Amino acid sequence: MAAVSRSSAAALIVTVAVGVAAAALPLFGASRYQQMLVYYVAYNLALGQSWNLMSGMTGYVSFAHGALAGIGAYATIIGMNAGVPLWLAVLAGAAAAILASLVIGITSLRLRGIAFTFATLFFQALTLLAVRKLPATGGPGGLPLQEILPIWLPQIMMIVLAVLATIAMVIIRRSRTGVRLLAIKGDETAALSLGIASARLKIMLFCASAAIAGLVGAVHGLFTASLYPDVVFSFDTSITALAVPLVGGVATAFGPVAGAVLFVGVGEILQIFAPGLHLVVVGALLLAVILFMPSGLVPFILSRFRDRRRFEASAANPRELVQ
Amino acid sequence: MTASATLALQLVANGLVVGGLLGLVALGLALIFGVMRVVNFAHGEFITLGAYITWLIAGGVGLSPFIGIPAAFLTGAVLGWIIQALLISRVMERPPLDALMVTYSLSILGLGLFSFFFGGDFRSYSEGPSGDLHLGAITVGVRSLSVLLVCLFLAAAAILLLRSARLGLAFRALAQNRDAAASSGINIRFIERLAFGLAVGLAAVAGSLISLVGTTTPTVGNDWVLEGFVVVVVGGMGSIPGALVAALLIGLVQSVFGYVFDDSWAKIITYLILYMTLLIRPQGLLGRATEMG
Repeated sequence: MAAVSRSSAAALIVTVAVGVAAAALPLFGASRYQQMLVYYVAYNLALGQSWNLMSGMTGYVSFAHGALAGIGAYATIIGMNAGVPLWLAVLAGAAAAILASLVIGITSLRLRGIAFTFATLFFQALTLLAVRKLPATGGPGGLPLQEILPIWLPQIMMIVLAVLATIAMVIIRRSRTGVRLLAIKGDETAALSLGIASARLKIMLFCASAAIAGLVGAVHGLFTASLYPDVVFSFDTSITALAVPLVGGVATAFGPVAGAVLFVGVGEILQIFAPGLHLVVVGALLLAVILFMPSGLVPFILSRFRDRRRFEASAANPRELVQ
Repeated sequence: MTASATLALQLVANGLVVGGLLGLVALGLALIFGVMRVVNFAHGEFITLGAYITWLIAGGVGLSPFIGIPAAFLTGAVLGWIIQALLISRVMERPPLDALMVTYSLSILGLGLFSFFFGGDFRSYSEGPSGDLHLGAITVGVRSLSVLLVCLFLAAAAILLLRSARLGLAFRALAQNRDAAASSGINIRFIERLAFGLAVGLAAVAGSLISLVGTTTPTVGNDWVLEGFVVVVVGGMGSIPGALVAALLIGLVQSVFGYVFDDSWAKIITYLILYMTLLIRPQGLLGRATEMG
């Protein structure tokens, strides 16, 4: 038990240190481009962790995390333009996303199986149609942020968010709640019979996950400073939210870090060589990972490494092979 | 005949065409879910594939689009067979999340390929039937009428296949219990490939017909498959009669609300019907309470 908490303390310290280093990059003369890459890694990571918290831990796949982030973005920019202070507008973004998650969650999370996934899929499509219709959102023409913020502000906010989301994953994975969630993912009927209040737990977790997604959208809205419904509610954001953890390592705390770095890296390389092939590569990558390393890239590499060490140890001491 | 009665008949006629197309889409989805318990999120991309094949044959080569329909069916059926044999059969024994993610990845891959090769242009063609047919007071396009006839023919053929033939028996046996079907001598791998091939073939035909009455874009299938999902959920996941009844219902809803408000509102109302179904009757109109309930 002590070893576990020591290793999680170490993990938390490393996470915070990497976050502080990333936030301090401009002080060490990192170029505008490098800062941009760091921002996008943080954005993908925070979004991926918000999906990971709900769908990764419970197995209930959400296609709506892009829409939840989009709702957070709209709530924040509308708030800012109405003269609400920054911190309150960002919190309003989280609150709006929580409200939306309750709408999805209450209609579908009491059910088992595919109902939740359908509810999220249609929520995304419905939100895009509704935002285009509503006058308060500027319609298809878009909604600009009237106040001009220094660019470092959303950059640092996103890094803080990515660090906090990763810490949340570290903590929940090692908590009793985490064990309960994995029990639901493994066999929900068995989990129920052990007295786990699965519907309540799922809805609460989805709210927490949506709050992070809403915050990510809010900060990203401040970063881009203008919102267009077709961009904000494009399926690409929801695809990224699930692809980052699935490729890196679903239900792990640090797999999505590798996933986020890989995504930004692949995106940049494709920008140069084949800008039209982005979706093709994401689809093929996702397919390959699910077919050949279903637990994700990081757990796959780690297990290879462990197997090899075990094999070498047993080669040194043949008696272990018999056991 | 009064003007309002004519309008009502006209809307019903339009709704039947949309309902027929939705029926073909939903038939494939219900077949795949019924036999394999897999939700095919790539179904929309197979619709798009059929639409582009027909556009290439009619608009590109200049042949009749009615040659495009069997061509789309065959291409779709072969592709579906291969995808089931190479990809989906690998994850059938794994948790359901994996099969879902395989079809979803295929959907992303397909969308990317269509966007890459065909760009965002709206494609249509002038080959094939044209003109309007006046049936009493209502007007039906000859193209729409041919779409409706093909849909009716295929739906009837599919129902006959599932009701009477040995094949239908095997499909239903698999739907009820995969292990029991295998142990009673049904070649389940063959049946699963056949079901997936047939479903994808039907999706491609739907796409082929959609290209005849509408325009083809890389996302055309995506728009249709969302409504196809509403149909299978409302009809009861995996229930084929339920899917066909729900397809006509949603087709009429689209036609009427598309006329009274506009197409966006018709979609919003269709999606709200999905939420209402999940809330009030999660097993759907004709579905049995299974894992959805």
